[in-house]
Amino acid sequence: MFERFTDPARRIVVLAQEEARERADDHIGSEHLLLGLCRAGETRGAALLAARGVTLAVVEEDLRRAGPPDLPDREALAGVGIDLDEVRARIEEAFGPGALENTRAAGGRRRRLWGRIPFDRGAKKVLELALREAMHRGDRAIGSEHVLLGMLHRETGRAAPLLHARGVTLPAVRAALDDAPGAASG
Amino acid sequence: MADATAVAAAASSQDPATGLAAVVSLRALLESLEELQVRNARDQGWSWQQIADGLSVSRQAVHKKYRRSGVV
Repeated sequence: MFERFTDPARRIVVLAQEEARERADDHIGSEHLLLGLCRAGETRGAALLAARGVTLAVVEEDLRRAGPPDLPDREALAGVGIDLDEVRARIEEAFGPGALENTRAAGGRRRRLWGRIPFDRGAKKVLELALREAMHRGDRAIGSEHVLLGMLHRETGRAAPLLHARGVTLPAVRAALDDAPGAASG
Repeated sequence: MADATAVAAAASSQDPATGLAAVVSLRALLESLEELQVRNARDQGWSWQQIADGLSVSRQAVHKKYRRSGVV
């Protein structure tokens, strides 16, 4: 499938891998693809995001606030009266930022310093959906904008809810692309 | 914390999926908190025996869990 990716789209995948490594995550998820998209320079996908106020800094902050995926389920804890954000705030007061997520119990110190980091199920789905979006639009190559469309689908991981909350939705991006037909993929 | 009525309602939820998910999440949180506190105690010079006493477990248990596995 990667042979059909444009250069910017390939760069996104490479940068996603770098992001996962830097964050000591043991998989590449849709959030890493989103970070890759934000870091890949001037691409069509990044322009669509920037037009809606979504920049690298915004994504990093949203992800930080959402907490790592391995932390205990916020809603489940709220159900028994425990406010995870409050717990984390107090822990960070005593032990510094990121203390809770950096525990081994939270999966924070799993590191893959070498070797290939595998895509998780959601990230694979993003790339498959990117291909489908490109075909659907009659585009020959899979560009950054298709990767963006892919990660806006539900059940692909952490990027979708973050972007939806920022007003970047599948219909909105599709409409924006429809309004600018013929622009080169990239 | 949420008000007492809401807590009681959730804690006594009749839906097993909700109740079990809460238990799993509590356990995950507990593991992280324990690890942080054990490391903190070691940093402050506590012995494994003192930590074990504080956790109401055997010295062997805490030793095995944290020292031998290289967590702390």
